[in-house]
Order: sequence, then C-alpha cells, then structure tokens
Amino acid sequence: MQTILEITNLTKTFGDFTAVNDISLQVGAGEIFGFLGPNGAGKTTTIKILAGLLQPDSGLITINDRSLADHPLACKQDTGYIPDRPWLFEKLTGWEYLQFVASLYGLPEQQFNSATNTYLELFDLSDWPHHLIESYSHGMRQKLIMTSVLMLDQPLMIIDEPMVGLDPKSARIVKELFKQKAAAGTTIFLSTHSLEIAEELCHRIAIITNGTLRVTGNMEELRNTAGRSGKDIDLEEIFLELTGSRELQQVIAALKGQK
Amino acid sequence: MLLLRPYFSSIRNRFFRGRRVSLRSGAILLFGLVLFTALHLISLRVIGYFHGQNELGIILSLKIFQMAWMIMFTMLIFSSMVSAVSSLYLSSDNEILYTAPVSDRQLFRMRYLTSFIYTSWMMVIFSLPIFGAYGTVFQAGPLYPVMLMLAVISTALTANGIGLAATILLVNLFPARRTKDIVVYLSLLFGILLYLIIRLMRPEDLADPDKFPDFIAYLSSMQTPALSLLPPAWATQILTGYLQERLIDGLAAGLLLLTPIVIFFAGEWLMGRYFFSGFSKAQESFGGTLSFACRPYHPSPMLRIFHKEARMFLRDSSEWSQMFLVGALIVVYLYNFKALPLERSPMPTEYLTNIIAYANIGLTGFLAASLAARFVYPSIGAEGMAFGMILTSPLPLQRYLFCKYLFYCIPFTLVSLILIIASNGLLQISGPMWWISIIIGLIITWSVLAMALGFGAMYADFKIENRAAAQGSFGAILFLFTALSAELVIITLVFVGNYRLVTSWLQGRPIGTTSLLLAAATLVAIATLAVIVSVVCVKKGIRSLQE
Repeated sequence: MQTILEITNLTKTFGDFTAVNDISLQVGAGEIFGFLGPNGAGKTTTIKILAGLLQPDSGLITINDRSLADHPLACKQDTGYIPDRPWLFEKLTGWEYLQFVASLYGLPEQQFNSATNTYLELFDLSDWPHHLIESYSHGMRQKLIMTSVLMLDQPLMIIDEPMVGLDPKSARIVKELFKQKAAAGTTIFLSTHSLEIAEELCHRIAIITNGTLRVTGNMEELRNTAGRSGKDIDLEEIFLELTGSRELQQVIAALKGQK
Repeated sequence: MLLLRPYFSSIRNRFFRGRRVSLRSGAILLFGLVLFTALHLISLRVIGYFHGQNELGIILSLKIFQMAWMIMFTMLIFSSMVSAVSSLYLSSDNEILYTAPVSDRQLFRMRYLTSFIYTSWMMVIFSLPIFGAYGTVFQAGPLYPVMLMLAVISTALTANGIGLAATILLVNLFPARRTKDIVVYLSLLFGILLYLIIRLMRPEDLADPDKFPDFIAYLSSMQTPALSLLPPAWATQILTGYLQERLIDGLAAGLLLLTPIVIFFAGEWLMGRYFFSGFSKAQESFGGTLSFACRPYHPSPMLRIFHKEARMFLRDSSEWSQMFLVGALIVVYLYNFKALPLERSPMPTEYLTNIIAYANIGLTGFLAASLAARFVYPSIGAEGMAFGMILTSPLPLQRYLFCKYLFYCIPFTLVSLILIIASNGLLQISGPMWWISIIIGLIITWSVLAMALGFGAMYADFKIENRAAAQGSFGAILFLFTALSAELVIITLVFVGNYRLVTSWLQGRPIGTTSLLLAAATLVAIATLAVIVSVVCVKKGIRSLQE
C-alpha cells in the first residue's frame, strides 16, 4: 500500500509545555486512520501541523512523497482540512463560499458544478446555497465545510471531530461517504471522541496521551497491547485501559452506588 | 459585583499578564500619557491665546467650551447606544448569564457599568486635559479639578443611561441587529452634519475684520445660553460660573448629580419591563429569509478574492455606511481649497498656490493613511477564524495579499487622484507641481496601502468582532506612526529635489539640466524608498501570518 502521509519524530512545544512529543506514524492510500486521545492530549495540535496551520519544532511530515516543510503549497493542494469548529465568512452565501474555496484550489468548472450539486443535495443544503452563512445553523455550517472539502476530491483528508453538530441522517451520510472515498483510494486521517465512529470506520487507530503516541494498530493489535487479546472488548474498554482511565470504573461504580 | 468579575479579570489578563505590566501595555500607557500631555499643552496655548485677546476672546473660548460639552454628550449617547445593542442583546455571554438565575436588574447594573467603561473611558480621560486647561488659563479656584471630574463623570453617566434606556426601547420595536444599523446611521449622519455645519460656518471668518457686522450678529447669538434643559448645559453653567466668578450654581449642580441616578433607575425599570421580549426578538435571524443571486463559477483566485472582499464590504452596513463619511470628508476637503482667501495674501498668488499644492501632497497622504487604518489595516483580522481555510489552501500568502492589495488599490487611487487633481484645479496649478503632486501623491498612497496590509498582517486579531474596533489597536497606531514618518521623509525629499525646478518654472526661467536631473534622481530615490518600506512591511506581515 502506497504511503500518503508520513510523520517522523514530530515535536511541538508551547513554552514549557510539550503538546506533541516525538510522534511517528504512517498512513497508506485508501486507509481511514483514527487519531484518538483524551482532551488536551495533542490531537488538534498534530492535526493543525498536518494542515499547515502550525509550525512544528522538529520532525518531518511527508504528504504524497513531498515534504510539507519544503513543498507546502503542493502538499496543501493534496490535503483537505475540516476543522472542529466551522469558521466561515458570515457575509458570503454558501454558494459563494464554495466558489471561493474552489478557486483557491483551482478546481475546474465542470467538477465544481457536478460535485457541489451532488453534495449539497446529499446534505439537504440545496435550498440554502444562496442564503447568507450567518443565517446557517451549526450543523449546516459543518455540512457546508464538508461539501467544500469533499468537492475537491483530494488524496488526503484531515478531519477534526467530523460529526459535531450533525443530525443522525447527515452523520450516517458522512460515514458512508468516508467509506466510499476510502474505497476509491482517498486517505482519511480523523480525530474523534466518538469511539463508536472510530471503531466502525477506521482501519487503524492511534491513541495519543500527553503528547505521546501510546499505541497504533487495528482493533486486534490494540486489544493485544491492552493485554486483553482474544477477548470481545470494545474500543471504549481498550481506550480506558490504554489512557490510564481505569480509575474511572471505580468512579462510575461509586456514582451508581449513590443512587 | 460577582457578574463583573469575568469582565475585570479579562481586562487584568489582557494588560497585566503574569501580574506584570507587559511591554505592549507599557507602550500603550506611555503613548496615552504623551497624548494626554500634548492635548493639555495645545489646549493651554489655544485657550490662552483667546483669553489673552480681549473680552470677545473670553466669550468665544467659553462658547467653544459649551460646544465641546454638547458634542461630547451627544457622541457619548450614540456610542452608548451602539455599545448597548452589542452588550445587552448580541453579547456572546448572554446565553450563560440569561439562563442563570440572574435578575434583569442585576444584568442591567452589570451592563450599565461595563458599557460606561467601554464607551466613556477615552472621552473622560481625554476631555480632562482640555477642560483642565480652562482652569489653568482662567486661574480657577482649587475646587475646579474636583468639580470638573464630577461634572465629566456625571455627564458621561447620564449619557450612558440615556443610551441604554433608548436602546431597550428601540430593540423592543426592531430586531437588535437592525437597531445597531439604525444607530450607526444616526451617529454617522450626526457626525457628517456636525462636520459640515462647523466647516460651512467658516469659523475663520470670525477673525476677519471685514465681516465685523456679521460677527456682532454672531456674538449676540453666542450670548444666548445653550439648551439649558440638557446635562452638558448644567455642567458648563456650573464650571463657567466658577471659572469666571468662583460661584457655584446650586440648582445646576443638584440637577447634574441627580439626573444620572434618576435615569439609572428608569433604565432599570425599562429593563425589567421590555428586555426579555427584545432579547427574544434579537435571536430571530432575518438574514435567513433573504436569497442572493449567484454568478457562474470561474476558477480564478483573484476574481474570487475581489468578489469576496466586495461582498463582505457591501453586505456589512457598518462598513459601507462609512462611505458617507468619506464622501463628506472629500467635499469638505475640497471646499477648504475653494474657500482659501488667496487674493489677500502678501505673496504672489502663483507662489502661494504652489506651496499649498505641495502641502496638499502631505495632506492627501495623511488622509490615505487614515482611511487605510480604518479599512485596509483591519481587513486581514476581519477574515476571522475562517482565515485558517486560506492558510491551509495552496494559494501562496504573497498572492493572496497581492490580490487584497489590488482590491483596495482601485478605490484608494481614485480618491487620491480626485483629491489632488480637483484641488490642483481649484488652485489653478499647472507646470511641474501638477505632475509632482500626482506622482508623489500616488506613490505615497500605494506605499501606505502596502504598509497597512503589512501591519494588518503583523498584528492581525482574528477574534475581533468588527473592523472599527481594530482602529485603536496598538498595531494600527504603530502603522499610522510608521506611515506618517515615511510620508514625512518623502515630502522632505520632494522639497529638496524639486525646489529649483519649480522656482525656475515660476520665475519663467529656462529649466536647467541639473534641476531636471536632481528632480529625476529624487523621484527614483522616493520610489525606491516607498518600494523598500512596502516590501519590508508586507514580508514581515507574511512571516507573522505563517508563524
């Protein structure tokens, strides 16, 4: 499998605080890679570095065999980024926003027209493209950003919390779209707090705590690392085991006892 | 008090990070002190000049005193209204506060105080050195500073209370966003009107002995008291009485001190009566029902950036409404040239007009810098957090900034050309100065634009809620300082390089090769300097954005 994204010894500090500590991993073409960790573990920092929003202190990032540091524009051309919060230009209409994004990436006119219509229809936005974004709900904004990235059809998609604000129907559609894109060869690097989504979608998962990569692998490899091989335990159990949250079980038991 | 804690904590964290005064806060404080002192010294000189003339001068200076209070009061009401719409109805912490068991009364007290601080601090602080100068010039008694402080604070509190109460009533009738627009228009119209009235009254005529009969008529109108039903009139009544005769008008003092308290309680009652229905309306989006026409897609980043900038500007009423102000500014600017009493000058008219045309280059540059500080400097921060999308795209930042530069270049070039060519026409300028003023005016305008973009990128605040707020920021002040310094150097170079050329032309002598070469060399030097300053600023801006 061809490697699309390669991270080597990535480190990022903010003052005395090390947000990302010597992370290395590889993601192949057509793979959906889950990036999990508790709050403040370093997921968003890593994602922002991959998207070209933050400069790392050290380490190397390669996208499609090109170094992000040396060829930032070519790497960005190949990467679609969906942030965890849908920041948009409030005074543009949805359609104008899509046109703006498409022009930044040089999307051909034919591809723009067919792709946008397809995704707007899928996300129930076809009645809204000519309204100002300031009148959109949170979910509509999230779907508009998804449309803007999906229409570009790039080899790598970096997604921070994909399902925040989406209704169940849209969430289902997004999951199916991700599977379809991956089957067609697109690499998806996603960070999520929803372990069900990670378990359902991801071919491989990495768990990060305190800026350090704890484990990388498929579900079976994760079970082995957690010392529960062969047992039918779900990702939540593995996550709690590997992130050192076992004491949570005691807290839950104590809370149940209070009732 | 508990409700105010987040507000004061935010201020402390902003200016005294880690319990220390940061370099930036220190610089702002120092700048404020310099401005405070400069205002006081200038006021001392101006008021001292009037006071030293005769009885007429004293009356005139006191009339200006009254006008200043009235202007301050009206401006404070309008800015309180704009601020109240945002803080009472559109503030992001409303969801936390209004869902908590906090009464309307508590909410009003908190917003009353924060709105007072937001809208009045600058006016209060900077009115003190001006009004304080009256005390020094008139050799007022020891009570004057205390009385002044009380009068300023009481007037500002009254204006704030009126602003809040009027807003609560208005929002009950219109949705909050529209009320904000209405208030913006009203304050703009007020500003334009005030400016036009003062300018078209031609106060310089007061110093003209030929107009003396008119002046007597004016004087009699000056003797009539200002609207005595308004708090600024009470403030001036108390202060001028004390300045002249050391007497305190008890009735005016009582009215001045009691009015803010009465208005505060009236506002509190209005809040309890009308706030919730207005707050509920404020959350109803009206933009959702509007649909906009779409244009076909063309994959040209420059076209799309132009389109985006234009749309964002035209759909934001607080932005495009500023154009009225710019229009009024241009009219008044050009009117000044028309009103110049050139025929009474002891110097040959041609010399004088050329000197004015030369000074006009600097004035146009100053205007371009001010407009750039208002429109261009905040344009990068105004992208908001959506700027992340531009950063993650394959469009080089250089190209993005260049597109933005070109977008602003068109209207700025037009304004500069109109100002220079029209004022040259009014001054009947011809020959080298005509060309010099246009070429140098454009060089200054274009470099000022690049500097505004560069500084805007260096000090971009992506969390700022509106562009106007960026105008008073540290970066904007630094930009203005740098732009005006560069302009000063350019203007000096223009004088050095073109003096011989212009005087030869004016005296009808043949223009020598040395004069021509010197002028050409100066032009090259100025262009090089402008390019270097522009490129350095933009490059620094790009570096900051990338970091």
